[in-house]
Amino acid sequence: MNSKPRTAIATAATASGLAGLILAGLAGVLLPSVALAEELPTFTIEMKDGVMTPDHLDVPAGKDVKIVIKNTGTTPAEFESKRLRKEKVLAPGAESFVVLRGLSAGDYTFFDDFRPGAAQGTITAR
Amino acid sequence: MFAQVIFVVWRESVEALLVVGILHAWLAHNAADRGAMKFLWGGVAAGLLTAVALSVALVGFAEVLPPGWQDFFQAGLILAACGLIVQMVFWMRRHGRTLKRELEEGLSRSVQNGQWWGVFVLALAAIAREGSETVVFLYGILAAGAAGHLLQTTLAILLALAAAFATYWLLQVFARRTSWRLFFRVTEIMLLCLGSALLVTAVGYLVSFGLLPYTNPVWNTDFLLRDTSSFGGLVASLTGYRSEPDVVTIATWIVYWGGIIAAFRLESSFAAARSAKA
Repeated sequence: MNSKPRTAIATAATASGLAGLILAGLAGVLLPSVALAEELPTFTIEMKDGVMTPDHLDVPAGKDVKIVIKNTGTTPAEFESKRLRKEKVLAPGAESFVVLRGLSAGDYTFFDDFRPGAAQGTITAR
Repeated sequence: MFAQVIFVVWRESVEALLVVGILHAWLAHNAADRGAMKFLWGGVAAGLLTAVALSVALVGFAEVLPPGWQDFFQAGLILAACGLIVQMVFWMRRHGRTLKRELEEGLSRSVQNGQWWGVFVLALAAIAREGSETVVFLYGILAAGAAGHLLQTTLAILLALAAAFATYWLLQVFARRTSWRLFFRVTEIMLLCLGSALLVTAVGYLVSFGLLPYTNPVWNTDFLLRDTSSFGGLVASLTGYRSEPDVVTIATWIVYWGGIIAAFRLESSFAAARSAKA
């Protein structure tokens, strides 16, 4: 088979593949599981150029909890916690949130991945 | 801080570059025609488009879309990439040597085209995975216009991308300077480790969705390598290492590597059967 029809097919397939992927992503998301994020107990962590406020949070264990993260500094920050399995990159001034679903009791450390040597914070679930 | 941004952007992009770079080297060595390469570069282009589309959705349509949607999408991409990597390694082990000859004899082109679509999707997934967060982050930096740090941060990002491409180029040089067997052995191990990292991350998403439980860490190997340090974080993202793994993480390691070992065993018993028949 010569290359012209193959290129055309590949292009058409790429376009439909992309569309399919996006649709699949959206479809995956119409599951109801995250619909009620507004009603969850909510905590806020402020990240400002390497300083995290507060650096310790107590949250209820076994329940869904929402943590709002604000970057109030002038430099980028990345909220990351290996144990929580959460990562959020935040440009200066950006705000985002993570939902923690049913933490077991214990301490979960988090840090700013853009400043790994700096202070770590802890979220304690009890 | 400047150095840290460079390092993190490099680390995020090096994973994708390793996948694309290794595939490029494998295809350049084995495939007799240009067709396979088009699939690879097509996948890269599609991945970039997907990353931009995801970023536009993240920034522009955040209120309309259900929250957390991008995590579902990412988890799907990561699982797809993991499966494709493992499949690609074993397919290359089986067919790599005979590809050129098969093409010259006009055999099995459709089988190969099927595999090249796998290359396309893998390249797409590898690029799109980190691409969307990076694009949003860059957009945020540029939009914030901030206070003197804008120039520094943009420069840091450009340096990081340059470092990433240098890494890619080094890989190609390594491919040309060493024997094919050594190169293939080293890169198949690198890809299998990447597959482990991807599976650990994907399972991590399932835990964060509440589909698998959070459990307590079973041991702590911070004394060996802290996964919160710069180098430790890099090792973690390329191999799936965790310094405080819990039951779910350890189970993931066992399932993944157990599966790989089983696949190697199966492969050699098939090969033995084939040569016994011949």
